[in-house]
Amino acid sequence: MSGANVAAPGALPNVLDTPVRRKWPVSPVLRWLGIAVVLTFVLLPVVYLFATSLKTRDEILSGAFWPETIFWQNWPDAFDTVNLPLFMRNSVVVGGLSALVTLALAVPAAYSMVRFATGGKALYSVVLGSYIAPPIVALLPLFYLLKWINGIDTLWGLALVHALASVPVAIWLLDSFVRGIPKDIEEAARIDGAGHVQILLQIVVPLISPGIMATGIICLILSYNELLFALVFTYQPATQTLPVGISLFQGDRLVNYGQMSAASLAGILPVYVVALIFQRYLIGGRTQGALK
Amino acid sequence: MASVAIPAPRSTRRILGRRLIPWLFVLPMVLGLLAFALYPFLYLIVLSASESQLGDPFQEWIGLENYSTALKDAVFIDSLRRSVVFAIPVSMIELLAGVVIALLVNGSLRGGHIIRTLILLPLITPPIMVATAWKLIFNPTGGLLNSVLSDLGLIDRPVSFLGSSQWALPAVALADAWQWTPFVALLAIATLQAMPGDVLQAASIDGAGRWSSFWTITFPMILPSLAAIFLIKLIITFKVFDLVYSMTFGGPGFDTNLATFQIYRVGLQQFNVGYAAAQTMLFGLLVGLITLPVVVIRDWTVKNWL
Repeated sequence: MSGANVAAPGALPNVLDTPVRRKWPVSPVLRWLGIAVVLTFVLLPVVYLFATSLKTRDEILSGAFWPETIFWQNWPDAFDTVNLPLFMRNSVVVGGLSALVTLALAVPAAYSMVRFATGGKALYSVVLGSYIAPPIVALLPLFYLLKWINGIDTLWGLALVHALASVPVAIWLLDSFVRGIPKDIEEAARIDGAGHVQILLQIVVPLISPGIMATGIICLILSYNELLFALVFTYQPATQTLPVGISLFQGDRLVNYGQMSAASLAGILPVYVVALIFQRYLIGGRTQGALK
Repeated sequence: MASVAIPAPRSTRRILGRRLIPWLFVLPMVLGLLAFALYPFLYLIVLSASESQLGDPFQEWIGLENYSTALKDAVFIDSLRRSVVFAIPVSMIELLAGVVIALLVNGSLRGGHIIRTLILLPLITPPIMVATAWKLIFNPTGGLLNSVLSDLGLIDRPVSFLGSSQWALPAVALADAWQWTPFVALLAIATLQAMPGDVLQAASIDGAGRWSSFWTITFPMILPSLAAIFLIKLIITFKVFDLVYSMTFGGPGFDTNLATFQIYRVGLQQFNVGYAAAQTMLFGLLVGLITLPVVVIRDWTVKNWL
């Protein structure tokens, strides 16, 4: 908060010259300095990971930030050491499946809870409240539940768990989108004789499709990144997800930092690409809910 | 559905359908929640009252014995204390940093869209990869932090940050801050953008300085939202597991053995699931007790400030 003195207005504010949207309380120089510091902190670990992935073992020990000679070999070696494509495929299958199930559960529920106040405030509190418990709470009971339905060590079993885990987040995200639908449109359809199911599928879903998209992507990323359930509910490479694969790689005592960096970055890139492609959807909705 | 000319009995059935269908819409989700939230909770209570091994649960009913053992177990109690000491300051720092970042990047800014997107990247980075990156930075042999500190002449010998009692937990905290501060910033930006513009305009016409208008107008208005953000972040920080698992595995010794990791160790490394269940219940109770005042404060600010 060092900007206090800088911000003190030297003269009376010129109302005519002051743009309405001006809210920024310190000088632009300080603002850009602050942004530079933040961006450095944000990008540093990722850039360092990339730099390390291009270093030989000796160069990693030397402590230089950027390698003197670029050593690409870590990348193919990492793919030889860890079956990255398999882990990635598992992650995408689990993530995609779980996002679809989450949406199938959450979209009708969110619509019903917002439009008809189904379950009232109580249901809303219970749904969001279930998010409070640390996942470790559900770990053992879900382990036995999955075992009972033969879902241990299967992609669909893990997807089901991820799907249920994401439901509260999905409800929370979808809520603001459903609220944004003008009631008149639904009323008009109702007068025309459309039933609830028709209105949901033919009017609500298309209207909030950007919100459904955003929610789906966020659920996909949540599942893609999740470690604890994936670690405990899968045993074999055929069902293990990327975070599990990378964590096993890390557990190896002879771990090669260059290869590990390459493998980690290879796992991060798909998420970043998806996020950049769909940024329009992601930075919207809940995150800008009340923006006029 | 039904035609326009409806006889009376069909009409009542239709009205009944209209009432029923909204419930059918929430039913699958409610069933999901029963499986994912209610069932684990009940199962946990039963499990915690038993002598249970992972492969052989419910060997014997022992009542509250697991609980009394847990309350006398120094390792467990220390892990609870460590979780509190970790979660509260880390959440506060992330809240402060997140709000500052939100203020920096909110509003008109050249390249604002790309900057805001870049700042969100840590949030979507898989935690296990976050841990990899920070492990490399903290690495005693050639790690970035060690090179920088020795170049500045602040250390003579490499420090093993993740292997030191003093630094391991702050190192995990730094990685957590990297990952989660963008989340706070995201919610804080949304809060700032929800502020009605005319209030600020009125203040500037009244001659309020920009800084003073922040403290007298913006800050009180966003305070309830900040309390809500703090609450969410506090809960998420209590849940941290992945970073500990892959950065320190609870070590050195028990120095980063947070409650979630302690429960994981007892349940899935020592297979003592009955005891782990009792510890989970006590941990859940503690998180509830700690977050309760934040909920009360939030409700109070909503009532008294808005």
